[in-house]
Amino acid sequence: MSRRVLTVDDDPDITMFVKTVLEENGYTPLIARNGETGLSVAREEAPDLIILDVLMPKQSGIRMYRELKSDDSLKGIPVIILSGIAKRTFLRSQEALTEFGDQPIPEPDVYIEKPVEPLELAETVKRLIG
Amino acid sequence: MKDKKLLFVTQFEGLWFDALQSLMDLRKAGFNHTVFLHVIERDKVAMRRGKGYLKDEEVKLREMANVRFIDWAESLFEQGMEVGAYIVVGNPLPKIISTAAEEDVDLIVTGRHKKGKFEELYGGSETLEILERTSTPVLVYKYMLPSGKVNERPFERPLLTMDWSPASEKAVEYLLSFKGVLKKVIAVHVIGEKEFKSTSAMEIQSLRKENKQKLEEVCSVFEKEGIEAESHLYVGNTFEQIEKAASEREATMIVAGTTGKSPLKEIFLGSVATKLTKHSMLPTLLVPASVKL
Repeated sequence: MSRRVLTVDDDPDITMFVKTVLEENGYTPLIARNGETGLSVAREEAPDLIILDVLMPKQSGIRMYRELKSDDSLKGIPVIILSGIAKRTFLRSQEALTEFGDQPIPEPDVYIEKPVEPLELAETVKRLIG
Repeated sequence: MKDKKLLFVTQFEGLWFDALQSLMDLRKAGFNHTVFLHVIERDKVAMRRGKGYLKDEEVKLREMANVRFIDWAESLFEQGMEVGAYIVVGNPLPKIISTAAEEDVDLIVTGRHKKGKFEELYGGSETLEILERTSTPVLVYKYMLPSGKVNERPFERPLLTMDWSPASEKAVEYLLSFKGVLKKVIAVHVIGEKEFKSTSAMEIQSLRKENKQKLEEVCSVFEKEGIEAESHLYVGNTFEQIEKAASEREATMIVAGTTGKSPLKEIFLGSVATKLTKHSMLPTLLVPASVKL
C-alpha cells in the first residue's frame, strides 16, 4: 500500500500542486483546509507524513503543529512545514508559546518557505518516508 | 479559557498595521486570536465586455493582500498570538458576516474610509447592518491624531454613553469583559433639550439627580472590579454633547449600545450610533443589545 501524506493548506492552488507531485511519485494524498480539520484527519487516518502550512483560517499551522507534537499517538509523524511565513517566525512563535507555559516542542523535520519546486518537494518527501 | 477572537477587516486603505498593533493590548482581556479579512470587491475582477472574468487581476490582488498579511502575521505570531487569514472575492458586507460566523468572533474591527464605496460600508448604515445580523460588537477604528497615527491604547479611557436602554446596559457588561485594559471609564448621559419642556426647576433638578444616581450606579459596577470610573451629565443634542464630553474628558474611544433597529430605520431616525460611526473623530465601539456575553 502506498504511503499516505496529509497536506494541510487553505490555498486550493497549493493543495492541487502538492497533490499532483505526490501522486506522480506514488504517494496517496489526503487534504485538509485548516489546522482544525487537519488535526482530526491526522487522528482518523494516521498518515505517514504531514505537509503543513502556517497561516490558515480556524487554526494556524503553529497551533496544529504544537498539538501534533503534544499527542503521543501523533508526535512520531514527520512534518514538513511549507509556508510563506519565515522559519524564524515559526520558531520564535513556538518559543513565545513555551514562555506562556506550554511544553517545549521539537523543531519540524523540514521547513520550506514557499514557493517550492516539484523536485525539491518530491525528494524531501522521499527522504523522510521513502 | 477559550481564546477570544478579533476579526480585523481591512481594505489596506484606512486600516493598517499600527491600528492592529494598538489592539494587541486586548490580549490582557483574553483576545489571543486575530483573524484577518480582506475582501476583493467583485467589481474589480468582474466580467468585462471582451475580457471576461479578470482572473489575472484577482491573482494579483490576492497576492498583494497575502504579502501584507504574511508580514503582519509574522509580527503577531512572534508575540505568541494565534493568527488566521481570509482573502475572498465578493461583496464586503455578506463576507464580513459569514466570516464572523464561521470563526465565531467576539469583536469585529473595521476602518472608516474617506472615499469610495467603503466609506458607505464602514461609515454608518452597513456597520449597523453588521450589528443587526451578527450580534457581534463592532469597533469602527479611526485615525484620530493630527499626525495620522493611532492612539496606542484606545481602550484606556473609554467614554461610555448611557441612554438607559437595554442596549446600553449590555454595553456596560461587554465593557466589563475588557477588565485589564481599561484604566478609567467615563460614563456619560446626555439629557435632551426636549426633556426640559414644561418642567419646573424642581422637576429639572429631580431629573438631574435621578440620572446622576443612575450614572453613579454604573460607575460602582466598574469600581467593584477595580476599574476607575467617573460620571458626567451633559445637556443638549446627544451626538454633539457626546463629542464634547469625549474631547473635554480626553476619552480614547466612545462606546455605545445599539438598539438593533433596521439600518434604514436608524438612518431615518438619525440614530446616535450612525452619527458616531460616521462623524466622530474617535474609535467607536458599538454593542448590539443581542450581544452574547
